[in-house]
Amino acid sequence: MVELKRRTLRDIDWALVAAPVGLTLFGCLGIYSTAPSHDFVKKQIMFLVLGLVVATVAMLTDYRKVITEIAPFFYAATLVLLLLVLFKGEEINGNKAWLRIPGLFGFQPSELAKLSTILMLARFMSRPRTGSLSIKDMAVMAAIVLPPVILIALGKDTGTMLTFGAILGAFYFLGGLRKRWLVAGVIAVGVGLVAVYPHLKPYQKERIIVIVDPEKADPRGYGYQTIQSMVAVGSGGVMGKGIGEGTQGKLGFLPYAYSDFIGAVVAEETGFVGVLLMMTLYLTLIYRLVHTAEGARDRAGSLMVMGLVALITFHIACNLGMVVGLMPIMGIPLPLMSAGGTAVITIFAGVGLALSVRLKRFVN
Amino acid sequence: MSNQSLKEESFDFDLRLKGILIVTIGIFVILGIRFYFLQVARHHDFQQRAENNRIREIPILAPRGAIYDRNGKTLVDNTPAYNVVVYPDAVKDFAQTIDALVRYFGVDREQITAELHNTRRSKSLPILVKQNANEADRAWVAAHGLDYSEINIELQPQRRYPHGKLAAHVLGYIGEISPRQLEDPRYADAGYKPGDIIGLSGIEAYYDKELRGENGMKRVIVDSRGVPLETLQEIPPKKGRDIFTTLDIDIQQVAEETFDNAGQRGVAIAMNPQNGEILALSSRPAYDPNIFAQNVISAGEKRAEVRALIRDPEHPLYNNAIQGRYPTGSTWKLLMAAAALEEEIITPKESRIVCGGGIQMGNRFVGCMGNHGSPAIHPAIVHSCDGYFYRLGLKMGVDKMHEWVVKFGAGGRTGIDLPHEVKGWIPDRDFKRKLNPKDPEWKDFDTVLASIGQGTVAITPIELLHSVSGIIAEGRYSTPHVMKELRDPVEPYKDEIVELKLSKETVDIVSYGAWGVVNEGGTAGGLFPRELNVGGKTGTAQVIAKEKVRGKEHHDHGWFICFAPLHTDEKPELAVVVLTPNGGFGGKVSAPKARQIVGAYYSKKLNRAIIPEMAGRFGLESPKAEISTAAQPSAPTARQ
Repeated sequence: MVELKRRTLRDIDWALVAAPVGLTLFGCLGIYSTAPSHDFVKKQIMFLVLGLVVATVAMLTDYRKVITEIAPFFYAATLVLLLLVLFKGEEINGNKAWLRIPGLFGFQPSELAKLSTILMLARFMSRPRTGSLSIKDMAVMAAIVLPPVILIALGKDTGTMLTFGAILGAFYFLGGLRKRWLVAGVIAVGVGLVAVYPHLKPYQKERIIVIVDPEKADPRGYGYQTIQSMVAVGSGGVMGKGIGEGTQGKLGFLPYAYSDFIGAVVAEETGFVGVLLMMTLYLTLIYRLVHTAEGARDRAGSLMVMGLVALITFHIACNLGMVVGLMPIMGIPLPLMSAGGTAVITIFAGVGLALSVRLKRFVN
Repeated sequence: MSNQSLKEESFDFDLRLKGILIVTIGIFVILGIRFYFLQVARHHDFQQRAENNRIREIPILAPRGAIYDRNGKTLVDNTPAYNVVVYPDAVKDFAQTIDALVRYFGVDREQITAELHNTRRSKSLPILVKQNANEADRAWVAAHGLDYSEINIELQPQRRYPHGKLAAHVLGYIGEISPRQLEDPRYADAGYKPGDIIGLSGIEAYYDKELRGENGMKRVIVDSRGVPLETLQEIPPKKGRDIFTTLDIDIQQVAEETFDNAGQRGVAIAMNPQNGEILALSSRPAYDPNIFAQNVISAGEKRAEVRALIRDPEHPLYNNAIQGRYPTGSTWKLLMAAAALEEEIITPKESRIVCGGGIQMGNRFVGCMGNHGSPAIHPAIVHSCDGYFYRLGLKMGVDKMHEWVVKFGAGGRTGIDLPHEVKGWIPDRDFKRKLNPKDPEWKDFDTVLASIGQGTVAITPIELLHSVSGIIAEGRYSTPHVMKELRDPVEPYKDEIVELKLSKETVDIVSYGAWGVVNEGGTAGGLFPRELNVGGKTGTAQVIAKEKVRGKEHHDHGWFICFAPLHTDEKPELAVVVLTPNGGFGGKVSAPKARQIVGAYYSKKLNRAIIPEMAGRFGLESPKAEISTAAQPSAPTARQ
């Protein structure tokens, strides 16, 4: 047993563990600086610890069993939770995404749904198969993604919906989507964006206008957040203003400083140097995950890990893109750094499963 | 087999894995470039904006200077008023706030919406909603403090004109600076900002820079709700400077009463010809500047009253003393006489000219009021002989007439320290050509009309007073002014006196002639106490109109201009002009008003009622004619 453990310890991809821990702690600095009370930081650290526990458990399981046997129950459970949210959920900032366990804490079932959907998709793709993706395959995968998306859409969480689209896209791509479908898909997305624009609500349009033409947007209107974010980022300079010294975040000029705009706080307080460090940590995490997927023993493991990669990358692209004014505000958090317990635990669970994939890569 | 392989297009899984990694790295590179752009390339810009976010400059209002009469009696001051204000940067829901303001405070919706969204206005400056909040207003604000934290009651200084309409045209009124004025470089360069309250007329406008002082400023760090956290710097305000005017409130009152009691429109000015100090300047109809002071924002409650004033066809806001042009009638003869003597067209020894009861000009006969034979200059003035002056004018010719009239200061602005003064019209070949393209050539007929102050003559009352006063003051032309001195530090009015070389005989003849009008049974005979040695000239100007039926607006303008004392060894110290437009004969409608004004002046000076009407006024006793003059201060005795 002990020997097993020592080999196991050496076999663990410690970079893959260090990166998310580092990111979470980095985020805590920003939360500490801007959150209205110290509770937020305390909670985040608690979730970090919990996440590590979950990751350890996940790592020690056999991921194949998780995918084939546990995934369906997990998936069904998250759908039930999503349904519950619609009826008994708390509405925060215009969308119903939170469930509160009375007396304990609140959590976001939509985060769990992201993971459960990834697992279900991986499960579907784990059946022995060759060749490219058939239409039937694509339809089934879409059918897996659709229920959670619909339930989330009813809760008016546009950003989260898009995430599922990204996940599905990654699975299609890696599942063997024919090249012509890939091209058609890209075109369809482009056309879809153009077609949907006129139907957007005014505040959504404002958010897009502020990126395209910042001067035209009403600085006191919905473009406000984006402009303030860029001001916070830009004013940080190369070295940043120092932890706790960020004026924009601290004085309340940056809304949601400790959640969606945590990236701006980091940029303001630690400067370009801090931003580079943050991006290095993310790249490390992503690269180690890809590396794990490359060395996985079976397709299912690969796909599961890459699903996680797609999830994380999409979130980073949208969130940091929003922070720097390249993308409209969509309510997508920055993985591990935005204050939010469920997301942290979900990612650590995913990391744990990835570690499991790595540990079992030689087992037959 | 080949069929199958076509269907099952295999793909390179590992390549696609790497593909996703490359896309991810690409995304990071793009983000990295953008971060670089914001944090390094444009760092300075954003740092500036971050500073602007958190540092607020809150102005500390400077109190506006007060305005007093020459003896220190208050004419304009400030009084604290409870006003309802709204802070734009504290508004959470604009539509809701605007609704509340319109419903509870009667504000004009369009106006307040424009004000709240005015980007050129500092957002931390409160917008005035309603002046002089009453109990109900205060209760409402207190009750809605949480919902509408942006609406407050504040104690603010309010401009007050305790004497209402008195001297309104001299004092002027205040209001919010208009967008057009802000574009004018005179205002923009001087630091005027949107929302500033400035003088719009009268002394309030002319001396606005001195009166307004300089606002102080507090630089504070604020949070995103605008709540001040820390004061970085405080600059105290500079009080506005007080102004002591040349006006005498008692004489001003009398000047205004003479018109109000008769229910007439018109102008009266009293001035010291030796230094140009204006003791009284009245224009009727008038207005109460308090209406403006209580309605400085165009969206206020009293805006209907303000608009009514502006649209009133009687133009109560016009200062006819300096903005109204009128033909002068016979008062012009004093200028003509002086010009003719200087040009030696007539001389003190040889000044007889035929009256002829008038003069024949082509197929028109221009008449005289009487037939005076061949009078010399003195009786010509005393009896206002038109025939004499027609011929005098022809002898002089329009060019000499024009030249001298300009030297006497007519046809231009006197330079009085009030805004909107207009230039009068005087006989001028070019002017006729421009004005009358159908009949551009100057004719003798025009000269004839001009010589008695008709035709091409139309000047302002202040211009007439100024030009004749200069002659009476022996060629010393002082600029008429209403500001005596600024205070703190004391700064008296600085004048640039224009010296016109006039011969002593010219001055004496004109003065004696005027003296005769009053004291030798002339056209204003018997109206003034002999001891004052008042001299003057009446004028009755015809209104030229095409209409056959002549209504009230076609009645003659009645003028009277006078000076005291004349024809003595003392220098004249009082000049008065009264104009009653469409009032009729000058001697009948304007001279009696001048009598009141002169009477008020001398009653105050000599400390007794010099005319019975002044009895009991200013604390004076009625005149007792029997009391010997030896026991009391007396007016200078006339030369013999």
